[in-house]
Amino acid sequence: MTELLRVSHTMTLSWRYGTSWYFAEFIRALRDERRLLGLRCPVCRRVYLPPRPVCGNCYAELREWVEVKDSGTVRAFTIVHTPIIDPTSGQLRPTPYGMALIQLDGSDTTLNHYIAENDPNKLRIGMRARAVWREERRGTLSDIIHFTAMNNEQSDNEQ
Amino acid sequence: MNNNGFVTAGVNLSFNYAAGEAASRFLIALRDEKKIWGTRCPACQRVLVPARSFCPRCFVDTGEWVEVEPAGTVSAFAPLSPLLPGEGPGVRVGLALIHLDGADTALAHFIGEADAPQIGLRVVAVFAESRSGHILDIAYFKPTET
Amino acid sequence: MKRVAVIGTGQTKHTKARDDVTQSELVREATTRALADAGITIHDVDAVVLSNMELFEGRALPEMWVGEGAGGYRKPVMKIATGGTSGTSACIAGYHQCASGLFDIVLVVGWEKHSEGATQTGMALTDPLWDRNVASGAVGNFALSISQYVAERGVTPQQAAKVAVKARRNAARNPYAHLQMDGITVEKVLESRMLADPIHLLDMCPQSDGACAVIYAAEDRAPKLCPRPAWVRAAVTRHDQPYIGDLDRRLVTMRTLRDAAREAYQQVGITEPLKEIDVAEIYEPVSYAELAWYEALGFCAEGEAGRLIDDGITEMNGELPVNPSGGVLSTNPVGASGVIRVAEAAMQVMGRAGDHQVPDARLALATGYGVYAWSDVIILSTG
Repeated sequence: MTELLRVSHTMTLSWRYGTSWYFAEFIRALRDERRLLGLRCPVCRRVYLPPRPVCGNCYAELREWVEVKDSGTVRAFTIVHTPIIDPTSGQLRPTPYGMALIQLDGSDTTLNHYIAENDPNKLRIGMRARAVWREERRGTLSDIIHFTAMNNEQSDNEQ
Repeated sequence: MNNNGFVTAGVNLSFNYAAGEAASRFLIALRDEKKIWGTRCPACQRVLVPARSFCPRCFVDTGEWVEVEPAGTVSAFAPLSPLLPGEGPGVRVGLALIHLDGADTALAHFIGEADAPQIGLRVVAVFAESRSGHILDIAYFKPTET
Repeated sequence: MKRVAVIGTGQTKHTKARDDVTQSELVREATTRALADAGITIHDVDAVVLSNMELFEGRALPEMWVGEGAGGYRKPVMKIATGGTSGTSACIAGYHQCASGLFDIVLVVGWEKHSEGATQTGMALTDPLWDRNVASGAVGNFALSISQYVAERGVTPQQAAKVAVKARRNAARNPYAHLQMDGITVEKVLESRMLADPIHLLDMCPQSDGACAVIYAAEDRAPKLCPRPAWVRAAVTRHDQPYIGDLDRRLVTMRTLRDAAREAYQQVGITEPLKEIDVAEIYEPVSYAELAWYEALGFCAEGEAGRLIDDGITEMNGELPVNPSGGVLSTNPVGASGVIRVAEAAMQVMGRAGDHQVPDARLALATGYGVYAWSDVIILSTG
């Protein structure tokens, strides 16, 4: 039986992605003013957050900025138990952790982000959630640490 | 992290490629015997080095294993300075295609200990002290003493 | 445009790790089997289309390095890399090349060698502006969409587990399948480790090393080479917006699969898919997805997918057997998985599916699924 060999290679790759006007404006408002901005399609009127340059449905350019709240409604959720390497740190992300799609008030699309809950029985589609912000913002969606469930009192105060 | 209109990102990736039976046998011969083997295609009769399980031109399994000389002739050469990112000037002076005696294909490898390598130079393999079953069990090829 | 048929298929025995071959040797195995099945040699092949996700194995330009294993020497070779749909999209690209009249015989090969690579890390290289900070891998991403599907369509974990059981029991009769689990039960699926709520380990597809090849011939060559070829009747691709939050309710609406199926059915004249299709090989990366695909493909009305699996309609002895091969749930070398769907559908129509043959299969459906919501639909038949 031939001894079978394996040849190993480790590569460290790094990239520098050019960003665009809509990213720059979104990040500026997020970092400097703690405001979230979406872009509205002139044809279907859908508000996209995160912002896009073009509406995928209508193929129309998006230019109208719209204020979006940092709280909204949970539209999907899961608790992740499988560790994967967090690309931002290069380390395994500790599990379990909650993920959700949150439709922020004022937006028509949902934002994929973390939700601070590890018990799936405590999460429900339709529940309200709000962002928990970092003390110091650097200009990335990670300036929101995660979302957290709003209790009824908090929800009422939002109205 | 956003910095003047750019988003930077990085990742570490590790890969672990199977050599397969033919390449394993070739690499083990480098490691254990300091010998270089080729395989012959029964259709075109060429001896392919490194040894491989099929001939890519004829698309048939290779048959006979043929030992080739650890010496041959340079058929192409490119001086590289520095040779690899981070590697300073030293023994290895460039990359070459080497037609080993008995082989019908050329092997891509390093040239070392040479002042002015050029096409036609006769070279011989220098094996690494510590070998693991890897193409760099041959450290480089150096000019043959005449 | 010419009519085109599949005249041969070949695949490797898919496993966790093929330590004994390189990627090109793996591809050569599937290629030589397909050539033998078609009764032709490599010299008869006019063009080659490859399917592979090079980032998963860190092998830049696989069409160059691995193309020799598909007999690419001095032939036109191109590669398709579209995630899970790679294989079916490559089969559609190969079909286009043949149907155009420019090439008479076209070889399509898909492969992946996950054991060599860093697939999870590769898949985490998503959109750098918005997505990468929250990447949770394919499983987490799917689980999000499943939470919506469960809320709207009411399927239960037991019904999803039945899909997983069907797949691995079918795979036990497929000599090429990776996961063959004759003794699997719904209880075992639900007791298996939770990956991302509600996906258990046994609800999810494996990562496999494997290759699969399909050979097409144009209408003037096919009948002479093959007594019962599988004719391509429709081949449709649909992509969609990339960001999961823009798609919203992905599994609930699954508009790409709905659109592609509607167009394919129209081209063939199918109005009642459950009755008219004899066998389906659909791309289901997770058990819940198969239920969503039943609805998107029109096998049943919305909300009825659970009933379909409960009533055994999609079992081997049911009205429309789905995934007699064991599906992606049993075998998943990503670049090959879509080609396997087409190959298995063709094998059914050609009567070459051995122990997992559906009797009298004349009309077969193959689908591909990839990335967040891309879909391919291919229909093959005897005439």
